[in-house]
Amino acid sequence: MNPIQRPEMYIIGAQPVCSQLPGLSPGQRKLCQLYQEHMMYIGEGAKNAIKECQFQFRQRRWNCSTVDNTSVFGRVMSIGSRETAFTYAVSAAGVVNAISRACREGELSTCGCSRTARPKDLPRDWLWGGCGDNVEYGYRFAKEFVDARERERNYAKGSEEQARILMNLQNNEAGRRAVYKLADVACKCHGVSGSCSLKTCWLQLADFRKVGDLLKEKYDSAAAMRIGRKGKLELVNNRFNSPTPEDLVYIDPSPDYCLRNETTGSLGTQGRLCNKTSEGMDGCELMCCGRGYDQFKSVQVERCHCKFHWCCYVKCKKCTEIVDQYVCK
Amino acid sequence: MAGAIIENMSTKKLCIVGGILLIFQVIAFLVGGLIAPDPTAAVPYMAAKCIDLQKNHHKTKWFIPWGPNQCDKLRYLDEAVNRQIEANDIVFAIHIPLPKNEMSPWFQFILCILHMDIAFKTNNQIKENAKVSLDVSLGYRDDTVSEWTEMAHAVETRKLNCTFGAPKTVEHEGKFYDCDFLPFMEIGTVAHKYYLLNIRLPVNEKAGVNVGIGEIKDIRLVGIHQNGGFTKVWFAMKTFLTPSIFIIMIWYWKRITQMTRPPVLLEKIIFALGISMTFINIPVEWFSIGFDWTWMLLFGDIRQGIFYAMLLSFWIIFCGEHMMDQNERNHFSSYWKQVGPIAIGSFCLFAFDMCERGVQLKNPFYSIWATDIGTELAMAFIIVAGICLCLYFLFLCFMVFQVFRNISCKQSSLPAMSKVRRLHYEGLIFRFRFLMLITLACAAMTVIFFIFSQVTEGHWKWGDFTFHWNSAFFTGIYGMWNLYVFALMFLYAPSHKNYGDDQSNGDLGVNTGEEFQLTTTITHVDGPTQVYKLARKEAHE
Repeated sequence: MNPIQRPEMYIIGAQPVCSQLPGLSPGQRKLCQLYQEHMMYIGEGAKNAIKECQFQFRQRRWNCSTVDNTSVFGRVMSIGSRETAFTYAVSAAGVVNAISRACREGELSTCGCSRTARPKDLPRDWLWGGCGDNVEYGYRFAKEFVDARERERNYAKGSEEQARILMNLQNNEAGRRAVYKLADVACKCHGVSGSCSLKTCWLQLADFRKVGDLLKEKYDSAAAMRIGRKGKLELVNNRFNSPTPEDLVYIDPSPDYCLRNETTGSLGTQGRLCNKTSEGMDGCELMCCGRGYDQFKSVQVERCHCKFHWCCYVKCKKCTEIVDQYVCK
Repeated sequence: MAGAIIENMSTKKLCIVGGILLIFQVIAFLVGGLIAPDPTAAVPYMAAKCIDLQKNHHKTKWFIPWGPNQCDKLRYLDEAVNRQIEANDIVFAIHIPLPKNEMSPWFQFILCILHMDIAFKTNNQIKENAKVSLDVSLGYRDDTVSEWTEMAHAVETRKLNCTFGAPKTVEHEGKFYDCDFLPFMEIGTVAHKYYLLNIRLPVNEKAGVNVGIGEIKDIRLVGIHQNGGFTKVWFAMKTFLTPSIFIIMIWYWKRITQMTRPPVLLEKIIFALGISMTFINIPVEWFSIGFDWTWMLLFGDIRQGIFYAMLLSFWIIFCGEHMMDQNERNHFSSYWKQVGPIAIGSFCLFAFDMCERGVQLKNPFYSIWATDIGTELAMAFIIVAGICLCLYFLFLCFMVFQVFRNISCKQSSLPAMSKVRRLHYEGLIFRFRFLMLITLACAAMTVIFFIFSQVTEGHWKWGDFTFHWNSAFFTGIYGMWNLYVFALMFLYAPSHKNYGDDQSNGDLGVNTGEEFQLTTTITHVDGPTQVYKLARKEAHE
């Protein structure tokens, strides 16, 4: 069962008990019990992240469909490849985004004001100096929750498993920072007669598409790493600059996504649609890995001549069109 | 105005007074930076998308975004199409504040701005000069169970000012437009604990209302209020400053009335400056904690406006009275050219403020910027005020230049003058230079701090220790102008010393006969005051 086809699996808020959730590590289970109301939004964030991943990679051989079973948190992407790095980063970003959003919607009672765990002081803090920023809250919560899984595992220094943990931590952080970095400071002047003697600023989250775009860039420039003797990741190729916390890293080369392979989890590109005229990755030549393609005509029914409102109300006609489609062999 | 305290004070004492004022200045600055939190806080909200299931669209029913009795919500508006929900069935609901918090009168005001997330769709784009029409109601309650009471209801139109960063192709569908904030609401007191906003965007195709505004995904709101901690520190400061300025003002006026001559214009304007400062200082805001006085914000603006007008007039008159030519001024009407622009400028700003905040007393959703005519009117007011201000500064600079020219002129002829006359002119020159110096210092400080607080992030952190620049700016500048007025009234009060010293030490005194011709009638005061006694005692020692 592939979770991509069943995204409602991630909406785990419906599930009453944290212990019944598949794929949570013990630490995450504990956090789940503590912050039960957050779980639904974490699930939603992960769902958005996968949607974004699939959008960003819609024209690639790997189209973000190889995420393993169980749940987002339990994803065992056994190969520490570039693609794995991207999925970790984008899910961490998705969680920050969703938690911050839920904060603003007033859905989380611990939000904003809870800089530290001292609920007694909360009303006082709020009255005195207002509440902290909810993007910051989203960031801190995501860090605690998403990284919990990596932090509770212990492996020998310099081992392959430790390298993987370090890689995941780095990529999670890169994802979270992408949200933070793209959130821009918006300000409003409201002094005497609307002058700028008093200016109030706040952080404003960017559209998640922009986060996806940034992470895709980071994916393209991801750094190949290996575990060093001191138990830290180091560059495979020393000529490059070492990665900042905002960069993605990977430790294994990507598997061949052309052919289906059960051991690597690659689905292959057989049956994928391709663009005959394109020279890029979505072109039939590259997408089908030189195996060739089948052409067929399909009848597409589209809505056309629509009348739109700002929401909901759409009056359309139906138009049919016959289009040529190409599918990899 | 002859023989002000400042002229007869020894340099040492002047330094001591300066030092004490500087200490108070530093205290005012540190109080803001270390004790007070940031002046204002912004809380971002996201509107819940409630479904109005009753087809009759009951006006009295409130939609609550969370908590008990919450409305039937949509997570995303995309779901609406499948559920056959129309745009007119959607109510955007925002509860201020967020859960587990409550508002308080200490917040002083709430200012809200609106931001719409509008997604780009090739076949549903935002039209040119699109306007969005909002049907808004604001309700309040003071506990979590009672019914909501309506505070205001209005139908408002706002211009949508949006740009799209990417090329408008199918590939970029789903990306958001970059839209400007819409000014939304302003209330001048926070008398209630909970506020609820219900916003509808009714569509009327025939009338062209809310048509061609793109695909709205979400409505976000940012609520800005003053921080309670800042309000407390601010009130404390005002409460402390009021008596200080008031006492020195009384003392100053007593000194003037003790003289037998009528007060000269400069003395009067300094006194008026003291009154306007006290007017700002009087902490009437304390009443806003107990009473629902929505006009407090407007009142604060007016008080500040009066003070600024006074300060500007004072500078002009001070320059004029130190011109040292033989023209007889000493009358307000001789300054009409310079004071005129101040009056016009202040009036324009007052009119603008009344059009914006004055109307907001009736309708908190009103914004002068929302309509084209309103924008033009507002811009006209602001531009006229700006021109007046420029004109004023030209006059002021010219006068300062004239004074300096006269000073250099007089200085060259000083040695040739009689001793008394020379001393008089030296006094005038010193008085003028001293005021120039501290005024320039104060103005420079204001500008520097202003720029600094605009560029820096608002606060600096060292471990647990936070320094709030914005608050420090407010308390520091406020304290500074108070000290300025205080120093002015103290140092430029008429001195009694010369009369005492006139007999004992001719060197220091100014001959009253000479004085008569130069400024106004001065005859001997009845007797030295306590301060004078003290001063003379010290002087003798």
